[in-house]
Amino acid sequence: MLKLDNLSARVGEEESEKTILNGLSLEVPAGEVHAIMGPNGAGKSTLAYLLTGREGYEVTGGTATLDGKDLLAMEPEDRAAHGVFLSFQYPVEIPGVPVMTFVRTAMNAQRKARGEEEMSAPEFIKKAREIGGILNIDAEMLKRPVNVGFSGGEKKRLEIFQMMMMEPRFSILDETDSGLDIDALKTVANGVNALRSPERSMLVITHYQRLLDHIRPDKVHVLAKGRIIKSGGPELAEQLERDGYDGILGEVA
Amino acid sequence: MTLADLKEQFGDPTPAELQLIAKYGELPEDARRLRAFEAFAKNGLPHRRMEQWKWTDFRHAIHAIETGQPRREKTIEPSDDALVFRFDGKSWHVPQDLPDGLSVFEKSEAQAVGNAEELPLAALAGALTGQSGRADLLQVEVTKPIKQPVFLDFDYERLETAFARIAFVVRPEAKVDVIERHAGGAGFSSVLVEFGIQDGGHVTRSLLQSGGAEEATAITAGVTLGAQAVYEQTALAFGAKVARIETRLAYEGEAGRAHINAAYLPADGYHVDFTSHVRHGAQSCVTRQLTKGAVNDGGRGVFQGKFHVPRSVGQHTDADMQHQAILLENGAEVYAKPELEIYADDVECAHGNTSGQLDETALFYMRQRGIPHMEARALLTEAFIAEALETAHPSVRDSLLEASRAFLRNEA
Repeated sequence: MLKLDNLSARVGEEESEKTILNGLSLEVPAGEVHAIMGPNGAGKSTLAYLLTGREGYEVTGGTATLDGKDLLAMEPEDRAAHGVFLSFQYPVEIPGVPVMTFVRTAMNAQRKARGEEEMSAPEFIKKAREIGGILNIDAEMLKRPVNVGFSGGEKKRLEIFQMMMMEPRFSILDETDSGLDIDALKTVANGVNALRSPERSMLVITHYQRLLDHIRPDKVHVLAKGRIIKSGGPELAEQLERDGYDGILGEVA
Repeated sequence: MTLADLKEQFGDPTPAELQLIAKYGELPEDARRLRAFEAFAKNGLPHRRMEQWKWTDFRHAIHAIETGQPRREKTIEPSDDALVFRFDGKSWHVPQDLPDGLSVFEKSEAQAVGNAEELPLAALAGALTGQSGRADLLQVEVTKPIKQPVFLDFDYERLETAFARIAFVVRPEAKVDVIERHAGGAGFSSVLVEFGIQDGGHVTRSLLQSGGAEEATAITAGVTLGAQAVYEQTALAFGAKVARIETRLAYEGEAGRAHINAAYLPADGYHVDFTSHVRHGAQSCVTRQLTKGAVNDGGRGVFQGKFHVPRSVGQHTDADMQHQAILLENGAEVYAKPELEIYADDVECAHGNTSGQLDETALFYMRQRGIPHMEARALLTEAFIAEALETAHPSVRDSLLEASRAFLRNEA
């Protein structure tokens, strides 16, 4: 599914230029959920943005492919049509565009790009209602402009709502647990777990272990200074929680 | 004054000005017509050396007047119940059956134009109407609330020039909804619409302007408001080579209220100018003005707004002027001059003026969800523009949004 090979990238121009990924290699096979953990400034969010095509990052080496296709050569919307989804750490407000309009426009744009039929309005509404029910998102919220006036928790739930509507093949969850109370965390985790399947993979970026208690990863990677310094099973997350990043960093150094 | 004298007055007339002088020469002599034409002739076609026209230079834009091409792709249609008044460039065509409370009079002599000196193109419209030999001025008297909208259709088929003038007299407690479609089709056109709204009268005006890339057009409204009268104007303009949409409003009775909202969307090679002048000539009047624009590479938007609040009569004025523009691409141009001229001391007046670009973060968020760049841009811009069009008449509000949508997706 996703394969990153020796990926290096930098941000900024000339004097403020900074290397943020430094030979990162990672493979997430189909059907697996991998977690990326790491201290602040390790390059976690950069990785998410780089994989989804946000401007302002320059790839200086290496490759990123999804099912063998060169992700880095695609526009952000083409990556989305190929099944890449990012649950944003800070979801963006879109004044004047209601959630339903937004999600439907996005889904139909993806379908069009893939040469599929558009989803009919009744079909769409039915699905939105079902998923809204699972995530505690009522019809009123779906009529409001995207993220405008939403609480932190509502924004995160709306990200997962979009993810469940779009059923992406490869999802990146960037600190989806931040700003969620324990009940909301469980709701969100249930939604994410419902999407797990042999054809889908996920990359869960997080600071803390608590999300991983609910979304059990197949593998855990520790990212520091722009590359993976250690990989392991779920027990690695527990070790991190116990010893902190300093422990792991010291161990590797 | 002879034609030769008039030519003399122009000094060095351009071919377009010579054409206009010739048009004037074809019409019957009339002292009021002459006065209106002289007001125009004083400076000729407005140009950049005139303060009020520094960004909208008609003289430079049209060297000689040529045949126009209508643009009907972005437009609005009259609703089934609408009373359609069509102006074909020469004559008015008025429905036979008019509802109770609405009367139409054709004035066959030229009428004086108010503020002619400050409104040279409105003065020109006043001077050059009557080309059909019939109505120089169509006067509509409204004596009670009219349910059906009055749809003014300025529909020109490949003309060089078109000049129209229509005046509404709205009696106390009467109400009328006016919708205007200006689709271009004349190389040079000027329309003057007047609203005399008496105490407690109410007028809504919704307007769509589109025109050819080689056309010059001016649409001027003169509005007076009696006590507690209401005027609500909503305009969407795509522009032309030069298009000036000007509103001159004066409160003459206490507690009048006006909304003046506009949106402009000029494409490459198009120019839209929204200019307004509001005189708070009576106490406790309320003005709300919102103008929004989004401009493509090579397009140009102009906003000039002025609130004039005289010393004693303007007390307790409550006025707010907002202009917000988005430059969609490099090479887009926006010029803005908001002015508050306040001499009264107990007033609430505010203004805001911003121009910038679309939020890159929002664009990325939308693209990440699979929405192509152009579509994301269109959605964001449409949402931005929509606020200024909310006040449009319900029968055309959706079509105005539809027209903006089509434009923003490059479908028109």
